Amino acid sequence: MNPALRRMKDLPSTHLLGAGSAMCAGCGGLLALHEICDLLGARTVFVNAASCMTLLASYPFTPFRGSWLYTAMASAPAGAQGVRDALDILSERGRLPPEQDLTAVALTGDGAATGIGLSATAGAIDRGLDFIYLCYDNEGYGNTGQQSSPATPLGARTATSTGAHGHPASKMDLFAIWVAQRPAYAATVIGADPLDLARKIDRARALKGPRLIHALAPCPPGWSFDPAEGVEIGRLAVKTGIWPLKEYVDGRVVHTHVPHPRLPVEEYLKRQGRFRHLFEPGRDTRVLAQIQSQVDAYWEQVCA
Amino acid sequence: MYRIRLHGRGGQGIKTGSRILGSAFFGAGFEVQDAPVYGAERRGAAMSAHVRAARTPIRERGVITRPDLVALVDETLLQVPAANVLLGVDAASVLLLQGNGDAETWRARLALSGTVVVLPAAGERAEAELGGARCAGAAARLAGVISRPQLIAAIAQELASLGPVATATTTAQALAAYDAVAPHAGVLRESRPAAATAFAAPEWIDLPLESARVAAPAIFAAATSVEVRTGLWRTMRPEIDYARCNRCAWICSTLCPDSAIRVRADRSPEIDLEHCKGCMICVSVCPPQAIRALPERAARARELAAAP
Ligand SMILES: Cc1ncc(C[n+]2csc(CCOP(=O)(O)OP(=O)(O)O)c2C)c(N)n1
Ligand code: SF4
Ligand code: SF4
Ligand code: SF4
Ligand SMILES: [Mg+2]
Repeated sequence: MNPALRRMKDLPSTHLLGAGSAMCAGCGGLLALHEICDLLGARTVFVNAASCMTLLASYPFTPFRGSWLYTAMASAPAGAQGVRDALDILSERGRLPPEQDLTAVALTGDGAATGIGLSATAGAIDRGLDFIYLCYDNEGYGNTGQQSSPATPLGARTATSTGAHGHPASKMDLFAIWVAQRPAYAATVIGADPLDLARKIDRARALKGPRLIHALAPCPPGWSFDPAEGVEIGRLAVKTGIWPLKEYVDGRVVHTHVPHPRLPVEEYLKRQGRFRHLFEPGRDTRVLAQIQSQVDAYWEQVCA
Repeated sequence: MYRIRLHGRGGQGIKTGSRILGSAFFGAGFEVQDAPVYGAERRGAAMSAHVRAARTPIRERGVITRPDLVALVDETLLQVPAANVLLGVDAASVLLLQGNGDAETWRARLALSGTVVVLPAAGERAEAELGGARCAGAAARLAGVISRPQLIAAIAQELASLGPVATATTTAQALAAYDAVAPHAGVLRESRPAAATAFAAPEWIDLPLESARVAAPAIFAAATSVEVRTGLWRTMRPEIDYARCNRCAWICSTLCPDSAIRVRADRSPEIDLEHCKGCMICVSVCPPQAIRALPERAARARELAAAP
């Protein structure tokens, strides 16, 4: 671990991401991005796929200090490949001194990362593309009104999961999909734990090759909670074990935080309107038990 | 035809309010149109919704530029030029305003000759999201052609997917507003459909066609977004009590999603009110609870009073 990142106190105190962007008040994705930018530095090219964050940079305004490229929803990793290739060609020709090199960062939501963009991602990992893939995961197609995506968790109500028991499928495990392809690095993070996040970005920054940063992004309108509670809900995602904080490095998965004691998942669920139907008018004991048992099974396997 | 424009901020239930009002008119036997209008911005940013109701088929389309009623959920929007709250308001229009103060003061302050009805503001936080429903309830009463049961049925229909608790609280708020403006029942009048010949072109500016280099020049400056004053989205304002502050600004300034808390050299925090969107995350994470949440309306009133 970088000895400079031992305590909260060691986090950067100047912030690189500009204020004034069009994200919602209390956006958990923006929280993670602003923390990440402080550690990545200004020498980046963000390659975005259609999502909420597309609104970050709308001409003539941008919160970034580096460049921005907007691509079609399936294509951010392909865009990152083009950016990387162009930089490499410039370096080879001696037109880009090493200290002026840039990091290509694909920035997409979960819809692109787990759905339509997954194939382009698999190709980029397969080619060993030197890039960071930053997925902020609000567990749905947020920009278009929170329809279900493959990352939507079991039981959540979305614009397209309005049945009595909410979303019928379980959340896709993006981290495991990446790890199966043996990338240079993969990590889960959350803005509500800035120190854990900072250490992981610091580690990812020093590596080369395909690197995943998967940030759970509490979303006030999509998950239906008061924006003031975003950080607390993020902390509960970790304390209940719903969002395991982990990293894959040197061929091994390591959990950077093992919640102990682990709180019941209800503590997390009941704070969000998207799960209200599991508690009102009556308790949906079947779905609640199913969610809890999935989390229990995960941690039993981790701690075995 | 009734032409009603609702104004508020993303998150205050304007879209829901227009749906409720539209369905209530429909239940009362009217032809109805209702549509929200918002830009790329999010929760907290200005938005409007447009409701037309008539006893004959409606052929008008688009935003309402000559309203019979403007219902304003959040009076602080009057200070946001882009919200254009008073667009087309004339002597025949009614302004329904949710806020404090009396109608006469507002008429004088806004230099209006038409009717102003003040709907006393509801409690600050919890009910903020129900502003649209409250205005829908009040507008229904001002029109005078929608009964209580019709209003209740419209809410039940529009909120069915949100469950019984949300429906009950929304109904209670809408009915409270419906009752609060009872003395003004029927003050809203239908206006005649506009003749096509009366159409006035919008006041737009014709730009000559220019090359991309001129029309959209490359910008190399960093973080130009600071030119956008997202502080105008705020309905609540965080205020630091420096006497209680522990100077641990790495906490609040890191956890502010909007990079709106600067760390001074002495490690004390400073809130950038031009950009703070008022999410109140800093209030909830500050260990000694040194930041308090103040309604923006009250904070501005205090500033006005203090100004020389
Ligand atoms: C090919 C394609 N399909 C659909 C859309 C419409 N669209 C724009 S943003 C978006 C949602 C993306 O969801 P996600 O990647 O999770 O990002 P979020 O909006 O949640 O931030 C959709 C469906 C599009 N732009 N392109
Ligand atoms: S909808 Fe959710 S993810 Fe999108 S900007 Fe708003 S808070 Fe952020
Ligand atoms: S977190 Fe609270 S106590 Fe610490 S610097 Fe910020 S305002 Fe002061
Ligand atoms: S309320 Fe606090 S955390 Fe939210 S934008 Fe304003 S300063 Fe930042
Ligand atoms: Mg999403």
